[in-house]
Amino acid sequence: MSSSCRSPHRLPSLSAKNRKIRLQFTQTQQNSIKRLEILFLVRWSRYNPYYLEPEVSKEAYSRPATELSAEEKEQRELKTLRPIKAATSGVSSSVFDDPVISKFINMMMEHGNKVLAREIMTQTLENIKKKQVEKYHKASEGEREAIECNPYTIFHQALENCKPVVGLASIQKGGKYYQVPIPLTDNRRRFLAMKWIITECRDNKHRRTHMYEKLSQELLVAFGKEGNVMKKKYELHKMAEANRAYAHYRWW
Amino acid sequence: MATQGGIVFQEKVSRLLRGQNGKPVLKPNRALVLKDAVANRKPKKGEASCITEMSVLMACWKQNNFVDTLCSNEINSFYMCVKKAQADAKNKAGQSNIQGRRLPPKQATALLKRYPNLCKEI
Repeated sequence: MSSSCRSPHRLPSLSAKNRKIRLQFTQTQQNSIKRLEILFLVRWSRYNPYYLEPEVSKEAYSRPATELSAEEKEQRELKTLRPIKAATSGVSSSVFDDPVISKFINMMMEHGNKVLAREIMTQTLENIKKKQVEKYHKASEGEREAIECNPYTIFHQALENCKPVVGLASIQKGGKYYQVPIPLTDNRRRFLAMKWIITECRDNKHRRTHMYEKLSQELLVAFGKEGNVMKKKYELHKMAEANRAYAHYRWW
Repeated sequence: MATQGGIVFQEKVSRLLRGQNGKPVLKPNRALVLKDAVANRKPKKGEASCITEMSVLMACWKQNNFVDTLCSNEINSFYMCVKKAQADAKNKAGQSNIQGRRLPPKQATALLKRYPNLCKEI
């Protein structure tokens, strides 16, 4: 509890994160009574493992109890009893919220400039749509059905095409380091695909093109299973295949 | 809190410390008190999982010049194998099924910490 002081000290500003209640006393009262400051923190970045993850999608709640399996019923029971983490500002229950796209935006973000990263992403999707619609209108009747116009499906398919199947790990055996082919987790594969796309766009394109332009070109090319990111993936696969003799050096 | 035969044990220890003919057998530099923790064991090095699936996949790649669409069956079976191996590893790490088996060191330490050795009265 803070002691009473004659000079007023600066209090941290009110924010959505922590609501503060400050009881004000007259000067005479302040001189004799300690000033109470009660702070209610509601959002942390590190939670006790006891806390559960929030469920943001509306569909999960609209399902009637009859549809759920025993595990899901148990899960619901648990959620009524345990505390739940506060949802971050990056997730929303809107239909347009996509966790993969949010992850990609976060990976593109630099110096915490989420506004810029989101802007680039929306411009990229718009650009992809423009190009595909142009192609659609220029194509003949037979070809029109094959052209995909939805930028979200293009993004997901391109990412799926860029994901490597096996990765390499540097394992030490007998004093030497060997590149051993290992299976990768889904998160690791998604991360590698996104990282390759972003670095490819940042490094290997002409400097005077906008990032959204570079990204849309790269995504469309990856959708067609060509381009530098696919080449990188194939090179990784080839290295893994070349080193398949060392696969036994793994112990997990 | 001496168990049955605990007094005999204490007498033996004091005899070792005092020693015969004034020469003590034990000269402990630390107090003869048990710690509330157990030493960690070296984790057993397992075998690499899913090697056959991986080799089948790589053979398919070699044949088809690394085109993924032609090897989709092998890729799927590889993913299934990896999932199963991960689930197995998770299950094995958690349980001490059979009673006869010794507790893993981490769990033993956790248990000892909950019921520690009391060395002071306060």
